[in-house]
Amino acid sequence: MIRYLLGRLVRLVLSLFAVSIITFVLLQLVPGSYSDLQGADVGSGLGGSSVVGGSGGGAGGEEQPAWLSYVQFMKGAITWDMPASYKYPQLTVNEIIEQAFPVSFTIAFLAMIVSVCIAIPTGLIAAARQNKFLDYGPMFLFTVITALPGYLFALVLILVFASWLRLLPTGGWNGPQYAIIPVLALGLEHVARMARFVRTSVLESLREEYVVAARAKGATPATVWVRHVLRNSLIPVVTVAGPMFAAMATGTVFIEALMGIPGLGMFFSVAARTRDLPLMMGATLFFAVLLMLVNLLVDLSYRLLDPRIRYQTPRTSVRSRRLARAQLEAVNQNG
Amino acid sequence: MADIQEAPAADTVATEAVRERPRSELARMWSRFRKNKIAVVSLAFVAILVITAIIAPLIIPHDPTAQDLRNRFLPSFTDASHPLGTDTLGRDILSRLVMSLRTALVIGFGAEAIALFTAIVIGMAAGYRGGRTDEVLMAFNDIMYAFPSYLLTVILVVVMGRSTGAVILAISIGSWVGQARLARAQTLKIKSFGYVEAGRSMGAGGITTTLRYILPNALGPLLVATSFGIPAAIAAEAGLAILGLGVAPPTPSWGGMIIDGYHDVIGRPFLIIWPLLLFGLTLLAFTFVGDGLRDAFDTSEEDR
Repeated sequence: MIRYLLGRLVRLVLSLFAVSIITFVLLQLVPGSYSDLQGADVGSGLGGSSVVGGSGGGAGGEEQPAWLSYVQFMKGAITWDMPASYKYPQLTVNEIIEQAFPVSFTIAFLAMIVSVCIAIPTGLIAAARQNKFLDYGPMFLFTVITALPGYLFALVLILVFASWLRLLPTGGWNGPQYAIIPVLALGLEHVARMARFVRTSVLESLREEYVVAARAKGATPATVWVRHVLRNSLIPVVTVAGPMFAAMATGTVFIEALMGIPGLGMFFSVAARTRDLPLMMGATLFFAVLLMLVNLLVDLSYRLLDPRIRYQTPRTSVRSRRLARAQLEAVNQNG
Repeated sequence: MADIQEAPAADTVATEAVRERPRSELARMWSRFRKNKIAVVSLAFVAILVITAIIAPLIIPHDPTAQDLRNRFLPSFTDASHPLGTDTLGRDILSRLVMSLRTALVIGFGAEAIALFTAIVIGMAAGYRGGRTDEVLMAFNDIMYAFPSYLLTVILVVVMGRSTGAVILAISIGSWVGQARLARAQTLKIKSFGYVEAGRSMGAGGITTTLRYILPNALGPLLVATSFGIPAAIAAEAGLAILGLGVAPPTPSWGGMIIDGYHDVIGRPFLIIWPLLLFGLTLLAFTFVGDGLRDAFDTSEEDR
């Protein structure tokens, strides 16, 4: 276990190193600089290749060799003391992350609650009524939902509740009513994946021998469901919730950018449009750390919750392999 | 439905099916695909989309970039010359919708073609050669896998600019990784089969073996992955547009239309309803075709 954990941590650090190097090198290649875009319409000038060689001053630090800037930035990232943003010069990158991430986190957290509250009952009913209307009806709907991106639901909700019924604002972040559309849209995007996973998980445990044994003993259906099926089938669901939450917290980017919600995703998109390199670098690293840490925690929680899974050897039970595959399918939208 | 009604009796159907079993692999695949009714309807819809996109310049009523500032915000179904109305700059919505379809399909097919090609080259080289080649290529693949794909795509667009080609390249670089793993796994599996061994024993070199014996048999799952990749690439472009990084104007795109119309969504919903509707239907159609293809390549349900 310790060896496994150490191995994973080493790989995580190496991956982060690779991500930071790739991001940094790519951002060095960005044509033009932040100062070139000043006064120009935000975002519209990006197609041009107006490279003003070296004269773009940005916010300092451009005359030293690139590797030194990298080392400085990474030192700052590790000690949580990053340089100031170009676009918001009065704030450092870590201050922006501290301000913006709670907003993204709030939306993701509420969306998680919404999707769990819908997904678990629907998944259970679908499994209990396998191949009947209450199964394939919702499951078909979920297939449709899974095929569509979350910002599409946000737009549909805006059309209905903001444009047509005029009940909710189209964007911004000034109170509870501003959270409804982003939370519903983000929750809907993930409810389908989770409900399908719950269904698979319940169907798998219904086939287990201990369920057959419990029935043979004469246990009532209620006892079988609550004590044997639910308990064993909801454990894997917990493990899906983790990466799904990470996907939500980073997947708010599009909804935030669309609706002008001041979360980290919106700042990332502003940074990308205005070539605010420190902010882009900081936000990218933050998202990457978040996704990788959550994936690690999930793999660990697997082991703690289901001792049948062994990490060093590939010999896993058919059930856990099937579930692992379903889990991958459930969360692979950000991979 | 029709097949069932015409069938005289269950047992004759069974014997008939045995006797008249489709012979070619393609015919058998089609018969499996056809069982999925939604996939068939979606395939027809996709065919219509592709044809429309190809002949788009011939059928659009107006120049999609021509501005007419006196006729801005004409609502849908009010003007015979602009059936779906005009947008913020007085441009014809129908024409922009059709030309955006073209943009979307070029990006979807283009990005996935590049991704598939890269995946096949890297995945099959790693799987076939094994050893050091495999280690190096898969280490590279692992690094790319660790990179959240949409972040990479956004950064690449910032680096390369917003031309259609740059957007296609950025999206394909974000999406080849999973397919390369699939190509490698398929190659590893097929490499050990008898007919590959037979080909090699008769003197086939590495290139011949991979291209003639392994690739045709590995292609099925890869094509299924690609067919799911196409809607993902189309959605990725729209996502980039929402971040303000989609294909640069004047090239019309659904994402661009949606973003342009978003500011006027109160009172003028028709600006985004049409692109949103066509965008959603296109994504669904490609996804269902992918489902059908997965069934078509899945031989496990057929007794042999």
